[in-house]
Amino acid sequence: MSIHIQTNYNKDENIWIVDIKGEIDIYTANKVKEDLNKMLDEQMADFKINCLELTYIDSTGLGVLIGILKRLKKEEKNINIVNPKPNISKLFHITGLDKIFVIEGE
Amino acid sequence: MGDHFSISVPSKPEYVNVVRLTASAIACRMGFNIEQIEDIKVAIAEACTNAIKHGIKNREENFKIQFLVDEEKLEIDVEDEGHGFSCNEIEEPDLENPKEGGLGIFIIKSLMDDVQINSNIGKGTSIKMIKYLGDDL
Ligand SMILES: Nc1ncnc2c1ncn2[C@@H]1O[C@H](COP(=O)(O)OP(=O)(O)OP(=O)(O)O)[C@@H](O)[C@H]1O
Ligand SMILES: [Mg+2]
Repeated sequence: MSIHIQTNYNKDENIWIVDIKGEIDIYTANKVKEDLNKMLDEQMADFKINCLELTYIDSTGLGVLIGILKRLKKEEKNINIVNPKPNISKLFHITGLDKIFVIEGE
Repeated sequence: MGDHFSISVPSKPEYVNVVRLTASAIACRMGFNIEQIEDIKVAIAEACTNAIKHGIKNREENFKIQFLVDEEKLEIDVEDEGHGFSCNEIEEPDLENPKEGGLGIFIIKSLMDDVQINSNIGKGTSIKMIKYLGDDL
């Protein structure tokens, strides 16, 4: 199992575009957390997370995203979750996280 | 009586994925649909993650998973002999004010049809969860 994160900063729109491929669970969550936090250290900006190839997430991964969102909200920035698979958007809905993240392309 | 399938799992994060694959293979063989299989994968991973994160005292220890395969349902028991906790202290997450942590058990209860948690401080924790075949309840 693996996780692959590709990031791209769009200067014109001041937004981070993040492609996450693979599975976020107890094994991979730390890497995701470190990578995303490093990006914020480098540049505080909105996040657009492309989830087309994110196949799995659970509470460990949701916790990482909530932590990042909290950091962003302090600077009035947000996270857009783009194209989540049905199993992933289901978790955002049952936990109520769909109300604090912007979810696109369900 | 149904079939009984059990495994002993090292208390290491890298094996949670193996447990998910095992659960998904069993559920698939039983005829659960894709959405139900995804539910089962998340629920069992949450229970294993808790056993590893909160339960087990040292990483050398294993924890046990039993699958009880019946005609109309799958029952999964995840048991660790770890720290245990006081189950009546489980807080429902505040959905208006999400925070990091505290979502796992809530997610298990949302995805499975019947969930029972038994924990004894100092002795360990067992979480039993059932998913019925057929239409979602
Ligand atoms: N197997 C276990 N052994 C000991 N304590 C446990 C066990 N499972 C759960 N707990 C206790 O119950 C609490 C709630 O568990 P839950 O999975 O809901 O949230 P969490 O693990 O703290 O965070 P999250 O699952 O959102 O990452 C835990 O914080 C822990 O104190
Ligand atoms: Mg948990």
